[in-house]
Amino acid sequence: MTKRVFMLPLWIRLWHWSNALAIIVLAVTGISLHFSDPALPLVEFSLAARIHNVAGVILVGLYAVFVIGNIVTGNWWQYVPKPPGIIQRCLRQMQYYGSGIFKGEPEPFPPTPETNFNALQAVTYWSIMYLVLPAVIVSGLIFLYPQLAPDTLFGLDGLLPVALVHYLGAAVIILFVVSHIYLGTMGPKVTSLFKMMFTGWYEH
Amino acid sequence: MIGHLRKTLSRILALLAVLAAVPALAGDPPSADELVKIRAGNAACLACHSEAGLSKPPKEGMDLKALRKYLVHADTYAASDHGQMACSECHGDGYDAHPHAAKAREGLSECQDCHARKAMRIERQFDKSVHAENLSETFTCVTCHDAHTMALASKLRDPHKIVAQDNKICLDCHDSDLAFARIAPEKKKRPPIDDIHSWLPNTRLHWKAVRCIECHTPTEDKLSLSHEIQNKDKAEKKCATCHSANTSLNARLYRHLATEEQHKYGFINSVILGSSYVVGATRNPTLDFGLIALFGATVVGVLGHGLVRIITMRLRRSKKND
Repeated sequence: MTKRVFMLPLWIRLWHWSNALAIIVLAVTGISLHFSDPALPLVEFSLAARIHNVAGVILVGLYAVFVIGNIVTGNWWQYVPKPPGIIQRCLRQMQYYGSGIFKGEPEPFPPTPETNFNALQAVTYWSIMYLVLPAVIVSGLIFLYPQLAPDTLFGLDGLLPVALVHYLGAAVIILFVVSHIYLGTMGPKVTSLFKMMFTGWYEH
Repeated sequence: MIGHLRKTLSRILALLAVLAAVPALAGDPPSADELVKIRAGNAACLACHSEAGLSKPPKEGMDLKALRKYLVHADTYAASDHGQMACSECHGDGYDAHPHAAKAREGLSECQDCHARKAMRIERQFDKSVHAENLSETFTCVTCHDAHTMALASKLRDPHKIVAQDNKICLDCHDSDLAFARIAPEKKKRPPIDDIHSWLPNTRLHWKAVRCIECHTPTEDKLSLSHEIQNKDKAEKKCATCHSANTSLNARLYRHLATEEQHKYGFINSVILGSSYVVGATRNPTLDFGLIALFGATVVGVLGHGLVRIITMRLRRSKKND
């Protein structure tokens, strides 16, 4: 008999999927812009630039929803990796992904309404949402208003460091997205966690 | 027979001598002594034809309204391409005394008097331009190129200065109803320049970073910049012409700097990076390769992990069934 636990309120699910859509649009258009090649256009440059700008501004709005929503509901606490034994719990989680799962061992720290994330998730999500994404957003906003960037830096255009932060940060987020989607298959069933992200109910 | 050959040879030699003399005529800078004399001579003209001359006219009864139209800034002129030339080189007979002769303008030197070969090449391009199409009678070199101020890109070197100089020429008419109406055909209305460029993101910033002619001349020619100024129907609209690794900016705005390309910090088109970060053009292939490899490794990693999960799960199931 499967048990059901309500885990995720509507606002988080709505935010999650809007954010996911914005990130995918930004990734596809961002790649088109950075690797722009007249012979091999993924999305045509001016169209990509326009979509990227609009989606970028939407992402800023969604980030505001995320931060404010977390403060108001107290959900921010979920992202804080709690001592003691954070490192041990991270290692235990890695060991599960590296070997335990192949032997059919149970998930060492299954989600509960009190603790949604295992330690590895908390550390990763916290870093992505409070370090990498803000860096990408701030550098993106400077890209939107390039006059804010310094004129020159070390003899090169002042927009270069901004561009590098944006590019590297975006690359980290894309790598995160790939692993995040895959780790979504690690629930009790391959589809359990995806289902939870839509319905809010965790079935196990 | 030998006499004929000798004649031909001497003709070829004479032609070569003329060809060799042409650049020498235009290019040889005056000696320091000569320059002092030239500047002194020019100062006599600038006594009237300058802001100072206008505010304190050296003679009474001058037509100040007319004078206002013909002012020259001494420092700008000295820094320009013609800055080491005497005014009298172009402003010949009729300009010696004041008031200038009524028909003095007719004796004014034309650009092609010195720039004959260049003018022939440029004329063929200009004839196809939108300016020739609409204004073939009135549009001349000096409509755009003020001989008292223009400086070659290779002389200015700084792309920002080149852009400022060259775009001012276009915008002086195309960003002013008054100036546009003075030259344009009677019924032609000035297209609102911001509106017709609204498709171009960061429009005004583009105009500070690149020249109008980067898009408004044929971009198929990767070797030189044409005088065939094109209107919006023909102008380049593909962003990737500039925004790509093989950017046309190298053959255009940055042509005079292209030989200095050093792949600074591993960036391609780093010579552009000195003044502008151009998305798609100024990139670091090593970094790009590293990140693509990391992405590939992540995808292969998760797919491999998934595959091992499937295999081990099947093995466990078949063991259970046994």
